[in-house]
Amino acid sequence: MALIQAILDGLMLGGVYSVISIGLTLVFGVISIVNFAQAQFLMIGMYVAYYAWAVFGIDPIFGALLSFAVAFVIGYLTQQFLISKVLKAPEVAQIFLTVGLLIVLDNLALILFGSEFKSVQTPYQNESIEFGGLIVSAPYAISFCASVVAGLGVWWLLARTWWGRTVRATSQDRMAAQLIGVNPEKIYRITFALGVALTAFGGGIILPYLTASPSVGEQFGVLMFTVVVLGGLGNVMGAVIGGLAVGVIQSVSSLFLPIQLQNLTLFCVFILTLALKPEGLIGRRTG
Amino acid sequence: MKSNNLNTYAKPSVILLASVLVCLAPFCVSDQGYAIRVFTLLFLFASMAQSWNIVGGLANQISLGHAAFFGLGAYTSTLLLIHFALSPWLGFLAGMSVAGLTGALLSLPTMRLRGHYFALATLAFAEVLRSIANTWSSLTGGPVGLSVPFSAEGGLALMQFKSGVPFYFIMLAMFILSTFIYKQISQRKIGYELRALKANPASAQAIGINVTKTKILASIISASLMGGCGVLFVQFNFFFDPDSIFSLVSISIRVALICIIGGIGTVWGPLIGACFLLPLEEVFNSTLSAKGAGISQLAYGLILIAIILVEPRGLQALFGRISKKLGI
Repeated sequence: MALIQAILDGLMLGGVYSVISIGLTLVFGVISIVNFAQAQFLMIGMYVAYYAWAVFGIDPIFGALLSFAVAFVIGYLTQQFLISKVLKAPEVAQIFLTVGLLIVLDNLALILFGSEFKSVQTPYQNESIEFGGLIVSAPYAISFCASVVAGLGVWWLLARTWWGRTVRATSQDRMAAQLIGVNPEKIYRITFALGVALTAFGGGIILPYLTASPSVGEQFGVLMFTVVVLGGLGNVMGAVIGGLAVGVIQSVSSLFLPIQLQNLTLFCVFILTLALKPEGLIGRRTG
Repeated sequence: MKSNNLNTYAKPSVILLASVLVCLAPFCVSDQGYAIRVFTLLFLFASMAQSWNIVGGLANQISLGHAAFFGLGAYTSTLLLIHFALSPWLGFLAGMSVAGLTGALLSLPTMRLRGHYFALATLAFAEVLRSIANTWSSLTGGPVGLSVPFSAEGGLALMQFKSGVPFYFIMLAMFILSTFIYKQISQRKIGYELRALKANPASAQAIGINVTKTKILASIISASLMGGCGVLFVQFNFFFDPDSIFSLVSISIRVALICIIGGIGTVWGPLIGACFLLPLEEVFNSTLSAKGAGISQLAYGLILIAIILVEPRGLQALFGRISKKLGI
């Protein structure tokens, strides 16, 4: 029973991991850039949702929509003024541009919001749902549902709309897409904006059970990379499965292993995937 | 002909002059003062950047996790000193060995990776060590960190000195050692093999280069030099904690940034980069830190972004470009 409970807990966590990682994998798939500052957009999302709650009393689940909007704008400008300048530069320039962005965002948060931990109070934070001997805490269940909605939204956008088609076309063959009248620069800007906005949305919906702080990006960085590598960098469906898998691995490993080794488990999964199947466990890359 | 002669004499005399200056410099400033500390750290970071340069520059494997080896060296020598009273000089060798061995083990799964993937894997490795060091309190002292046992008399055997001068020369020696090793590697067979791997791994393998052996060897040398630097740093600094010693920004990224500023894959890049970045950081820290936490780090990130946008090949390339434009 403990095992089933752990798997259930893991899935609830994993749903959120999926949403925050979709953005990272989408950006890589379309623009071929690993955004090392992706987890910092999660932090931005958490702060936006926090202030929406603290100032206007908006529940973080809805504040997350505001997080999405704010990060979308920041992401759009970042792509236009920074990332687009290094697309043809050597890889080392691409890596260190987003690394520089990571440092800037972390410290901006420290300067603007201070180093203290900020958390919200919600009417449902101590509630839980019980069925058949299994317990799900309400904040986890609600954020899981929000993740599912966001995930379906992205799927609909990419698979069912004209815009989604042009994005997929650009990631498959930039030149050919250009020939049929797609403006890749524009696609890149919107993709990057959407990617970081999704992660910021994830930041908003986890606020009911996690505290916001300038170092939250550090906690999530490696985790997000593990998720996308597991699913195959650039593979959106892979990120969903990878997210759920990482949630379950984390939750189940805490049954057998001391807390110290939890990160080690994740790292072993990460490094083994990179070493043995760099294209990801899910297989074919769509990006 | 005449200018040719001048050049043959110019190089050794510049080197001679520079060495005299470098050797006299510590005696011109207060021996426990601020200036000598900055110079000492400058040579330490130049050495760290030089060891990064071996994998980052020659093989073009961009590591974002060199703090891992730095921290392993620091923990190895300090724990040996605390529990077994082992002299830090032997701890230096032990730290290098542990870091080198870890470098070898890490390169087994990572050597096939390139570009972003390699950067991700190395970043994750250092982050995991950081979280282990933070949680495994019985061994590492946890988030509080470890202190080098202080001895009032100090002395050579304990690598503790009342004056700042000995450490200045120790770090200088470390820099000379790492630069010598870098130069040896880049001029020997392994250096050409690494460059061939960088240019085209498939054809490098086709002409008979043992890819596995070359990469593991480079990784061992780079990691063990970094581990040695970690040992020297804690002996110099007396204290460290997991977040500072395994730091992504202030160790891993910083050493790479020093190389980028100075010019990746050049012998003098690390020294040029360190001479530019460390004094600049000191200026930031003294002028901006009073204005609040994070401001000097923010400036640091902005510099990194600016350099990448202006000239990702570093200052040497930038000066080359400017002088070409001016027609000099």
